[in-house]
Amino acid sequence: MNLAHRLASTFAERLFLDRKAAFWLGELRATWSLREVRARVVEVVDETRDTRTFVLRPNGGWRGHRAGQHTTVEVEIDGVRVRRLYSLSSAPGDRLPAITVKRAGRMSTWLHDRVRPGHLVRLGPAAGDFVLPDPAPGRLLFLSGGSGITPVMSMLRDLAARDAIGDLVFVHHARSHDDVIFSRALAALAARHRGLRLIVRFGRFDESQLGALVPDFAERETFLCGPPGLMARAEWAWERAGASSRLHVERFGAGAAPAAAAGAMVTLARSGRSFPATASGSLLEQLERAGERPAYGCRIGICHTCRCRKRAGTVKNVLTGALSSATDEDIQLCISVPCSDVELGL
Amino acid sequence: MTHASKTLTPEQADAFGRELDALRQDVIADLGQRDVDHIRRMIRASRYAEAGGRLLLGFGWGPASFALGVSALGTAKILENMEIGHNVLHGQYDFTRDPDLDSRSYEWDIVCTGDGWRHSHNYEHHTFTNILGKDRDIGYAFLRVGPEQRWHPTHLIQPVSAALLALGFEWGIGAHDLRLDEALTGKQSRAELWARARPFLCKAGWQLAKDYVFYPALALGNAPRVLAGNLLANVMRNLWSFAIIFCGHFPDGVRMYREEETRDESRGRWYLRQVNGSANIDGGKLFQILTGHLSHQIEHHLFPDLPAARYPEMAPRVREICTRHGQAYNSGSLWRQLGSVARRIVRYAAP
Repeated sequence: MNLAHRLASTFAERLFLDRKAAFWLGELRATWSLREVRARVVEVVDETRDTRTFVLRPNGGWRGHRAGQHTTVEVEIDGVRVRRLYSLSSAPGDRLPAITVKRAGRMSTWLHDRVRPGHLVRLGPAAGDFVLPDPAPGRLLFLSGGSGITPVMSMLRDLAARDAIGDLVFVHHARSHDDVIFSRALAALAARHRGLRLIVRFGRFDESQLGALVPDFAERETFLCGPPGLMARAEWAWERAGASSRLHVERFGAGAAPAAAAGAMVTLARSGRSFPATASGSLLEQLERAGERPAYGCRIGICHTCRCRKRAGTVKNVLTGALSSATDEDIQLCISVPCSDVELGL
Repeated sequence: MTHASKTLTPEQADAFGRELDALRQDVIADLGQRDVDHIRRMIRASRYAEAGGRLLLGFGWGPASFALGVSALGTAKILENMEIGHNVLHGQYDFTRDPDLDSRSYEWDIVCTGDGWRHSHNYEHHTFTNILGKDRDIGYAFLRVGPEQRWHPTHLIQPVSAALLALGFEWGIGAHDLRLDEALTGKQSRAELWARARPFLCKAGWQLAKDYVFYPALALGNAPRVLAGNLLANVMRNLWSFAIIFCGHFPDGVRMYREEETRDESRGRWYLRQVNGSANIDGGKLFQILTGHLSHQIEHHLFPDLPAARYPEMAPRVREICTRHGQAYNSGSLWRQLGSVARRIVRYAAP
């Protein structure tokens, strides 16, 4: 079976039948694809003045998600594919998956400004280990701030749908009353489920008040997601209480601050090797000096033989002066110099 | 042979290069939806033309549908090879990050492998353009197209061998990567030759199977008609691409370089060599598309990794910069350039 499958796919590929099939499927219906998950945005819901939920109808390639997981959303902005991770805010049992997006950063702002029902997006498979254990622990604490509520909302909806809310305290932080995402849904759930205690706080998270709000916080399996400041203070509080093992966290891409070029580290993802960058020479030259043998051709930026996936970090294109700092961008090694710690897909 | 271009001092060459760099930056800053829309339109046109051509050949009857089928399939192949494949393989659409437009994974519908092409064409030909002994695309290493190349008795039959190359051009460029000449002179070991030949033979086998076994078999009783139609469509693509590509570097007025001249070449001088080593073909928009925008060979050689559909709008500025710096900008009609290439192939067959 496996061999037959492999033969068939080689046959299709060598006769270019695979890409023809992909093209004609897409011509028949834009969401049809054998290779990728495409989803149609079917509804856009305003949650707060700067947060919107996008309800998606994916094609058959979507394999569902576990509550708390995220997915890669890919859109095309002015002809360029751009992707970002978003937590799913819907429960796994819901008819359609949804993401909830705060207007911040390039891609999220673009989603707000440009995406209306009918828009097509691409999704990666659901991923992430920020999920509830199975069966769900009896005593739970959800601690969130701002748009960090999205993955824990998915968990809450999942527990509610399965009628599995035992003893759950949900502490959410928002800037103001109007900034509470899902406020109506939360209130409705709190009214229906006696085991759910909902605490909404305005302003900064204050770890000194935690003991008063949730005296047994250290004994609860806790799920934490929020802005970096909140996360850091909460992690410190749990560490002091000796309860770090019960704290589960989900971080949104808080990239490392760019370091100075010299002294920055170049890390190679495949071999795990790293070496310090120097102030002179392209990344290609630096790799070669470090004993690596990456593919290259012209060494002047025209042939693209040395193109390589940059997983993380900032590099500068010496021809254009353009900075590349997004994760997972392709760069040309022969005309790039590192500006921070860089991880390459080599 | 005299060349119309002025010789520039290093400073003048740098200034020339800076102006072209600035033009390049302007276009890079403007890349976006328009470019992606264009290439997707081309892919769509090629797919529809191919499907139409194959259906007409497979299920049509009579000579009219046969001729139409061959033209549609041949046009689809020309679009796929020249406007889509060649340009995608140059990395012109890598900025889109669309896996279907990715230069490193794209495979085109021609016997020459994408990998072989990326090396011999993108790297060697585009880096060492028109340097004798380094650019193996000069006369494809067996034709003498200029007095700078040393004469050899085998050149006597080159009018015939050039005509044969035109008919089977895809096989010519596929075999070009094998460096058979170097294997004959002992510069390449058998193991190296085999390493180059294996992927080529593998791809060529599948290509033959596709056009001469698989599609004819699908048409059942119409198989001979499909086979003949596919063969003619391939020949149509071969003749067209041969004509366009030979007009790019071999007409009168195109310069060749000796290796010594290009040692420690600055970026400005590299640009100068690209301008003086290439020639354009005049034509309208449809013609430009069918040549894969190699009608703008000069712009292509200056900016091989910018989307080719941008060349026509860049051309007036390139021409203006060249004129101001005293550089000849070689452009002529298809018939003039082709006639010039044909005359040279005949003329330089003799010592």
